[in-house]
Amino acid sequence: MRIQETLTMYEKLNILTDAAKYDVACTSSGTSRRNDGTGMGSCEQSGICHSFSADGRCISLLKILFTNECIYDCKYCVNRRTNDVVRTSFTPDEICTLTMEFYRRNYIEGLFLSSGILKSPDYTMELIYAALYKLRTECGFQGYIHVKAIPGADSELIRRVGFLADRMSVNLELPTAESLKILAPHKTRKKILTPMRLVQNGMEENRQELALYRHAPRFVPAGQSTQMIIGATPESDYQIMQVTQSLYQKFDLKRVFFSAFVHVNEDAHLPARSDEGPPLLREHRLYQADWLLRYYHFRAEELLSEEEPNFNVLFDPKCNWALKHLEYFPVEVNQADYKTLLRVPGIGYKSASRIVKARRLGTLTYEDLKKMGVVLKRAVYFITCEGKMMYPVKFTEESIARNLLASGERLPKEVVHMGYQQLSLFDDVRFGGGLGEKGIYMQ
Amino acid sequence: MKKVYICSDSATGIFSGIYEAWRRKDQQDSGIALAGHVEPELFCTYEEVEENREKAAAVDRMICRHLGGTAYQEISQAVLSDDPGRGDAILGTMMEARHIPDSRRIMEHLTHPDVEKVFELSRRVGAEAHALKGFVRFRELKGGILCAVIRPKSQVLPCLAPHFEERLPKENWMIYDKSHRMFAVHESGRRWVVVWAEESCLEEFCLEELEVSEQEKRYEKLWRGFCETISISEREDKKAQAQHLPFRFRPYMTEFSQGG
Repeated sequence: MRIQETLTMYEKLNILTDAAKYDVACTSSGTSRRNDGTGMGSCEQSGICHSFSADGRCISLLKILFTNECIYDCKYCVNRRTNDVVRTSFTPDEICTLTMEFYRRNYIEGLFLSSGILKSPDYTMELIYAALYKLRTECGFQGYIHVKAIPGADSELIRRVGFLADRMSVNLELPTAESLKILAPHKTRKKILTPMRLVQNGMEENRQELALYRHAPRFVPAGQSTQMIIGATPESDYQIMQVTQSLYQKFDLKRVFFSAFVHVNEDAHLPARSDEGPPLLREHRLYQADWLLRYYHFRAEELLSEEEPNFNVLFDPKCNWALKHLEYFPVEVNQADYKTLLRVPGIGYKSASRIVKARRLGTLTYEDLKKMGVVLKRAVYFITCEGKMMYPVKFTEESIARNLLASGERLPKEVVHMGYQQLSLFDDVRFGGGLGEKGIYMQ
Repeated sequence: MKKVYICSDSATGIFSGIYEAWRRKDQQDSGIALAGHVEPELFCTYEEVEENREKAAAVDRMICRHLGGTAYQEISQAVLSDDPGRGDAILGTMMEARHIPDSRRIMEHLTHPDVEKVFELSRRVGAEAHALKGFVRFRELKGGILCAVIRPKSQVLPCLAPHFEERLPKENWMIYDKSHRMFAVHESGRRWVVVWAEESCLEEFCLEELEVSEQEKRYEKLWRGFCETISISEREDKKAQAQHLPFRFRPYMTEFSQGG
């Protein structure tokens, strides 16, 4: 292991940013806090993006590791102990100064502090606590803090950190326990789920406290999140969505993030290196489906099944669902209830609520829908306005699908390259990787 | 005959115009035009509005009282946009509110063209203000004052100033809106104010020449380094970056300018 003592601040920041960049979440949403007039900082419920990096991802928080030294040897991780890279650590003071000075200049919305495991989980959690305590009390920082709960750390320590942070996360790392065993031999599913449950229970207790005493200190007010790596192990989209769904239900998570696997290490247990790059389209489809779970009352079993375990490359999950369930369509926008509208491709939850309100005061036309933010080129095949469809369309899966594709529906660029005519439209395409699409890490 | 009230391109101007139009008996036949954007029509008389804060405040109160909080917020935002027809749209929205059963629900009435326009303008202003809450970059001057320059399409300073006052209550800061020649100024522990720059003083005011503090360059360098390192090269997607962070914002952002 290389440890260099005389690194400049610039080099340190460079190393510990580089080591932290594969963590997905850079969100600053989920809580709002007013400044009490004594310190610096506040939080906005919606979160704020401060910049966007060259990969199109949002920069909202100062995302750094406390240290990139690590006693573990996770095969996918750039910081695994067997990698020969320069190791360094921040001091709590350095973290405080950087955060405060960046925040003053409005570079960031707050701090995202993660860490390699230095000596032991407890020791690392202690260091993180020291840094956050100083930042919150001595520096009077009232902006957003996202911090990792280290699996294996003492529960009391995690609890104390939770009262300083806005959001905590424990990374699930991989979708199944078997994969975890192969790629992260020092971690177990149980070790990861323990702190997750701890934070969940802490939040529940805190809710009851807050109901009694409005000014009681708040525990992880922006909730907890997790992330898993996609494409390093053989799980299907269906398995991943089921895991995601149960995390929302059983652990009351705020967000589940997916991270397309990026090759940083050579290891026999990792998929063979190819020219295709990270599986970005697959990641994109998973995020779309995740939205359907959280905001659109869909269930994983409706979107995928054992027989059809992966998402369609050509259509987003909602469109794909609609094409397979034409018996629910077309719906009349002037009558259909909110939940039905939510299921129409091209109608989002915001436009659905606008529709429900606006039609009380007048009959809606296609023109009105467009102004309300409905994506008509997708929605027209599934709706009627006053009983009429916008164009006469043969109402079959095949014909609507062809229309959708012909109407300039934006296809993922790699699908265009591989010549989608060759694919049968509803083929269950195995995702290779390199099917690139937009980064969608918006707050 | 139709009567068009001509007012200046400002919130006070437009609200004063609406005040005059509202006082007139036959409001259906009134319009608001901004000085410099008047399109002469036949059978129409024009009147220049005498603007003042009292008239504007009266309209402000009326909207707040009769149309409710949501509409008030949407209208206050729409009036900051750069659309020359916004005065007409706001007046039209206020008039339409009298014709629906519950005038507090006027902003839900999106099938009405004026309401729809106010909604759209407000959304546009809100989006720009929200983006700038993130994209504003302060530089520390000698003496510790934080100073930022923006060049927005809409007059977003009234949206930004309360945000930064909340966030940086103990700092002295100012934001200069280059498009509309306005400053938002905040003194530590006090309330923010917006001031219009006089032509003559603008000549002297050139931010690029203001001297920054000793450590300013150091933090700028650290920030540029951070932004470069945080990007994952295997995922590079400049198109997505440009979509979320349009080029027009970049000249005033530390990470997109060269450090001298």
